[in-house]
Amino acid sequence: MATQGLEQGQSLRYVRTVGMTTMRGRGFYYPIDSAMSNSGRLYVLSRSFERAVSDSMRVTMLNEDGEYYGVFGSAGIGDGQFRWPCGIAINDQNRVFVTDEYLNRVSVFNESGEFLKHWGSGGEIDGMLNGPSGIVFDQDNNVLIADSRNHRIQKFTSDGEFLQSFGEYGNGDGCLNLPWGLGVDQQGEIFVADWGNDRIQRFTPNGEFVAKYGSPGRQEGELIKPAGVIVNQEGYIYVADWGNERVQVFGPDGEFVQKIRGQATNSEWAEDFLGVNVEEAGARERANLEPDIDYFNDDPHEESSHIEKLFWGPVSLMLDSESRLFITETNRHRIQVYERDN
Amino acid sequence: MVSTSTELIIHLMNRAGFGITPDELDACSLMTYEDLVENLLNPSESAHISDDILFRDHVDLHASRSGVPAYWAYRMISTQSPLEEKMSLFWHGIFATGNSKLNNLRTLLNQIEMFRRSGTGKFDDLLIKLSQDPAMLIWLDNQDNLNESINENYGREILELFSMGVGNYTEDDIKECARAFTGWSVANSEYMSLMAQKDSIWPYGRIVWHYDFKPGIHDVDNKEFLGEAGPFNGDDVIRIICNQEATARFIARHMYNFFVADEVPVPQWKDTPPKDPAAIDTLVEAYFKYEHDIKSVLRVLLTSDFFKESRYQKIKSPVELVIGTLRLSGEYNDDSKVDSSIFGVIAESDYMGQALCNPPSVEGWHTGEEWISSGALVDRVNFASQHIGNPDNDGVKHILNRIHADLKNDTHTIGELIESCGNSVGITRISGDTADGVLDLFTQEEVQTNGQDTDIAIEDGTILRVLEFMVSSREYQLC
Repeated sequence: MATQGLEQGQSLRYVRTVGMTTMRGRGFYYPIDSAMSNSGRLYVLSRSFERAVSDSMRVTMLNEDGEYYGVFGSAGIGDGQFRWPCGIAINDQNRVFVTDEYLNRVSVFNESGEFLKHWGSGGEIDGMLNGPSGIVFDQDNNVLIADSRNHRIQKFTSDGEFLQSFGEYGNGDGCLNLPWGLGVDQQGEIFVADWGNDRIQRFTPNGEFVAKYGSPGRQEGELIKPAGVIVNQEGYIYVADWGNERVQVFGPDGEFVQKIRGQATNSEWAEDFLGVNVEEAGARERANLEPDIDYFNDDPHEESSHIEKLFWGPVSLMLDSESRLFITETNRHRIQVYERDN
Repeated sequence: MVSTSTELIIHLMNRAGFGITPDELDACSLMTYEDLVENLLNPSESAHISDDILFRDHVDLHASRSGVPAYWAYRMISTQSPLEEKMSLFWHGIFATGNSKLNNLRTLLNQIEMFRRSGTGKFDDLLIKLSQDPAMLIWLDNQDNLNESINENYGREILELFSMGVGNYTEDDIKECARAFTGWSVANSEYMSLMAQKDSIWPYGRIVWHYDFKPGIHDVDNKEFLGEAGPFNGDDVIRIICNQEATARFIARHMYNFFVADEVPVPQWKDTPPKDPAAIDTLVEAYFKYEHDIKSVLRVLLTSDFFKESRYQKIKSPVELVIGTLRLSGEYNDDSKVDSSIFGVIAESDYMGQALCNPPSVEGWHTGEEWISSGALVDRVNFASQHIGNPDNDGVKHILNRIHADLKNDTHTIGELIESCGNSVGITRISGDTADGVLDLFTQEEVQTNGQDTDIAIEDGTILRVLEFMVSSREYQLC
């Protein structure tokens, strides 16, 4: 874990791991985003894939300690179903919103997972969607959506009424290339994981360009295909540096602060599994899960495929009420939790 | 008639690639044959579809937990370095490793990536990398090959199927070979084998395997192998193997079978002489002259007369037919064409008898006429006509436009249309039976009299019918 110029209390320290992989029920299957309700209930969106069992594509409800509250959603095109689910967000009334990149719609559920409605349709004109991915609510309880294949951000009311759009395809200031994750800071400024341009862009609440952070590369402060971004109360910017298999922290002005590669341990659910499957638990105990390996390339993707504790597909970030960072990893089907080192 | 050079280009790209589109043919026509071969052997940039896009849209490909054949298909369809993929396919067919036993597709994908990196280098180096490849080691149980109790599986197959062929070594050589490979294992082999056996993905998905030499279980004693003696390890054994003429002949015959003309299946090689002994001699000579360098042997092969004269002597493998058709139809070839339908499309190759990453046994696939069962033939014809007959596909639209441009007048003879459509899909020698079959598509009475000289209106529907017929023909099954 590298740090640089940290202000007091900004360093991240590993806390625990949540979840494990299962194709159904209690667990996650290629989780792609997470959200938390006012009551602390976690909603983890499993992307899964079409060839898998239908109910592997779902939202799993749990708390951080592994208490399981059930699932909702499944693969399909009907009400409450998903095809390429991508983003999840919860508004101030605990309504759960899920974007679907393939069906070009947003499905809305209540806190218990009952389907309420969906809105959105495919197209290019304002208000229409083409690959909606990241989703976040702003301070006015309006919803911002990364309209990825239209290379723009769109703002809607919670009912899906179009309000505003900004961004267009390109790599200039304010232009976007397949944007993905979104974050909103205390001032309402909007942060966009400009995935195809390997950078984070910052906009005013009205969509005017403010700043850009990061450039393509693997060095500190550089980014490869960032998928998620979130800003803490002090303005520190956390980035899911997806292509570099790490999370980076930037200061309020975009200066590099810290990078982390992951330190996962067994979650409550993993311990449950190993407690029952003693043969695997024994072999796992005897294995060296942090071997020293000569890799055939310098892509951290390769390293992460061999070393289980490392992030593999860190895709989305979430902060809880105590400013702890929840990092969702697609390829390892889990969430790693970090807290500030106060 | 097309020129000889055009025919040669199509022939070269069928064998060293996955066919050729009309635009690619135009570009290649500006180059000498020798330069084309050098470009294939020394590609600059594969420029294949972006991994990042694939991983973002198909999350299961990101971890390679499943769908690796589709991932490889995207690569084969979109690459600008087709020989790199063709060589990977070549070695995948010989060093056949199947996920049915491994349950770890990403480890198998790394083996294929190793073929890309090392598949045209020195054969000795390739065999060493293969012998340290964790997918191969688990596939042939070498983690159980211990100094106290040898497991002969890998020692036997490296001689029988990967280098020399049956009849060129003794049972004692197999044992000594196996002893040399004791301790060539996989890290955490107990846990990794257990997860594979149980098909376990818990708690956090697959962990990719890596090679680990375990000196404690390696046999350091003297060995006698193929007439030499010493405290050999796997490196020594591979050096001895690669210096054998039998190895040169075995690899030469495999290359001939894959690139030049269909041979009988490998188990019959012991008793059936090569189809062209002189060609095998040429390749064997090149193997030793260029110190076992596969790229140099390939260069000799691709520029030889026996290669240039071998047109239409091979039956396309299912992968060649599927990938070649999709390259022609323009599907799945750029970042905007990533779609889940690829998984069903590449599965068509399975139904035709070639499931990537799951060969039927360590012997690999039997090729040539064995690809053509009655069911497989129906699948092959239906697949090609479905994709080339769809005018919504970009590649097909482009072919239609080119034929319209080529046949400038509104009316041409059926013969001219047949030739233009044939050339568009890479068929340069159209048989009488195929031409007669096209004539049967037309109902005008005058066709009975004038045959191919009958004038017809050049319309999209007419062109599409002829294109569909062409890719349903016997000629399209061959290359």
